[in-house]
Amino acid sequence: MSRKKVSVWSDNRFWQRSATWVTGFASILLIWLTFDTMGQITMGNQKDIDNHIAKKVPSATVINYKVEYNMNQFRGHEVPVIGGDDGKGNSLFKVKEKFFGRDDYSQKEADALLHLGKLASQAKNCMDCHTLLGNGAYYAPDLTKAWLDPAWGKDGPLQSMTGKNTKEEAMAEFLQNPGKYPTHARMMPNLGITPKEAKGLVAFLKHMATIDTNGFPRGFGKIKEGVVYAKSK
Amino acid sequence: MQSQSNFKYESQKLGSWYFTVAVILFGAQLLLGLVSAIQFIYPSFLYDILDFSITRMVHINALVVWMVYAMIGSVYYLLPDETGIETVGIGIGKLLFWVLTLAVTIVVLVYIFIQVGPANQTTIWLITEGREYIEAPRWADIGIVVVVLGFLANTFLTAMKGRRTGIMTVILSDMIALAGLYLAGMYFTDNISMDQYWWWWVIHLWVEATWEVMVGALAAYALIKIVDAKREIVEMWLWIEVAMLFGSGILGLGHHYFWIGTPEYWWEIGALFSALEPLPLVGMFVHVLYDWGKEKGLKEHTGADATSNNTPALMWLVSNGFGNFLGAGVWGFFHTLPQVNIYTHGTQFTAAHGHLAFFGAYATILIGMFYMAIQGKYGIKKLRATFDSKMAIFLITFGVLGMTVALTIAGYEQVLIARAQLGGTWDAFFVAQNQLWMSQAMDWRLIMGVVTTVGFFYLVKDLLTISKNPQNVK
Amino acid sequence: MIEAFTDMNSSFFGFLNQGPLTLTIFLHTVIVLPMFWIYFQEKKRLEREN
Repeated sequence: MSRKKVSVWSDNRFWQRSATWVTGFASILLIWLTFDTMGQITMGNQKDIDNHIAKKVPSATVINYKVEYNMNQFRGHEVPVIGGDDGKGNSLFKVKEKFFGRDDYSQKEADALLHLGKLASQAKNCMDCHTLLGNGAYYAPDLTKAWLDPAWGKDGPLQSMTGKNTKEEAMAEFLQNPGKYPTHARMMPNLGITPKEAKGLVAFLKHMATIDTNGFPRGFGKIKEGVVYAKSK
Repeated sequence: MQSQSNFKYESQKLGSWYFTVAVILFGAQLLLGLVSAIQFIYPSFLYDILDFSITRMVHINALVVWMVYAMIGSVYYLLPDETGIETVGIGIGKLLFWVLTLAVTIVVLVYIFIQVGPANQTTIWLITEGREYIEAPRWADIGIVVVVLGFLANTFLTAMKGRRTGIMTVILSDMIALAGLYLAGMYFTDNISMDQYWWWWVIHLWVEATWEVMVGALAAYALIKIVDAKREIVEMWLWIEVAMLFGSGILGLGHHYFWIGTPEYWWEIGALFSALEPLPLVGMFVHVLYDWGKEKGLKEHTGADATSNNTPALMWLVSNGFGNFLGAGVWGFFHTLPQVNIYTHGTQFTAAHGHLAFFGAYATILIGMFYMAIQGKYGIKKLRATFDSKMAIFLITFGVLGMTVALTIAGYEQVLIARAQLGGTWDAFFVAQNQLWMSQAMDWRLIMGVVTTVGFFYLVKDLLTISKNPQNVK
Repeated sequence: MIEAFTDMNSSFFGFLNQGPLTLTIFLHTVIVLPMFWIYFQEKKRLEREN
């Protein structure tokens, strides 16, 4: 029997089966990748910090520690450095830093603060003006590493604007009365943030700054001209 | 729209109800978009009354909801045509329509008049979830799931009873995925990385996978109806599109996992899979133009009337081919590689892509479906474009392209100054916002937004009056 | 020959990342290869039917 010439490329069944295979297998790969990623981005706890284990998303108790954003030689980009730098951009988990006057928040207390802050970030719609981890709206500055912004630090213009002596108190004061401290013609609205919520939000911001974002944003806070107070229009 | 309805099936009438609400929400989207654009230029406009966070939220929520409405409407509209029978649970379908519309109205009123709440679960359940695009409070999430389950049951039971076409098979499986993915967004966690991981499952797998497949299916249906394209050929294209869209789109999700605390291997996965996402869009573009030209040529050859059955719908379908490729494909590819995205992530660049992609990929084809429904409603054999139809498509397309160009320029400026030069701090952000390139771009964005809105009014006028135009009245 | 991990945690997918594009090309290949099998199966079927 002679073979007839057939065209598989114009055959519906071939494409239907291919579509089913590609969709199904890509979905399976995505689920596999998701399990792998879930394992890596689950939030750490104080035990990890005690054992000097760096996590992508560290324990809420990082609020007890000094946080920096330094170049890591091994990774090839900047990473959050918690509790001091070993000189190569790795966390030492030693150097503490007071957060609202304390550096001994227990796991439970820190978790509760972070929980409150995350809830507040959603209840106040932060993401519809700001970006968090780069996602959101583009009306206001990115908050991913806001905690590490030199403008909020000692002698920084944003801290001195509020008349407070620490970064966290300055941020909390600003959050409660944004209308009083315009940093630009475009002002943050008054969202009825309470002192407790403000404290939670600052904890949330400090924790977010310790998330390993694969070097995003590049060179954050490293350029002097980027931290000179921008005069409003 | 008081005149006699020529719909052969109740399902098509229900589809047209969905379309009507979709048009109203489209108007709300444009209105709130204009307010947001004004606030970029005059920040004191409605400050502390209706802030940018609220206007922008309603702007993007109205967008998502009108498109979901138009998609549900499209499915109800084509269901009897494809299956050959009336939708089985049409009474329940109508009830669910009113339930959904009531829920949407309440959600929008709460957004506008209550806006924000204290930091507790009550706010998340009753006011807002505060997660971009899916801010709808939890009660509404559950309501949406119930309504969508009813809709799914309706389409499934109808498809099982009636004729089972390739288009219906694609739509049914796509709708399950679309509805199932929404569940990934109904979830609260203190871990912002985990939060955004699942949030992207909804956003990306909707707009870059399941919605695109829905567009492919609608385009297939429209080509059969408008230019008498052959079903076997259209359905073969559809399967190729499904393979390519899902093949690139599902793992293309990785391009959202570059910087949110997720592992580095997503750089590679996101980069190449999403770089291939434009390919099926090129395919869809070629497919629409090719089938149109081929069917026209065949008819001309036999001396038959070679004009299409619905010129306004065809115009929108062709602009879908262009817009999908340009907005989703080209503008998406611009910033999908991690080496580029490290600087463009979180800038106006994303807004430029968002505007052209949502318009080009979805608004165009759904407006085309509105015209299909108008044709069905008035029983017009060959619907001809009027002056208003042409003004509508010209002004809306020109306006959106203008906004996109303006936002792209703003994005470049922001990338260079705020990110590359100044390192992305609070001050770097505002230094960039004060640049002339940014402020002029924002002026042009508003002007082009007004152009788009004028086009929208032409569209509404046309949808209401096209059936009375002498060339469409026998 | 085998590249060291640069990421924070080691993992199977990180291991496949052995230089530019190795991971993603591997994944593309495992998705596309079985389509050859589908192709030849369908070809056989069409030849039988004709």
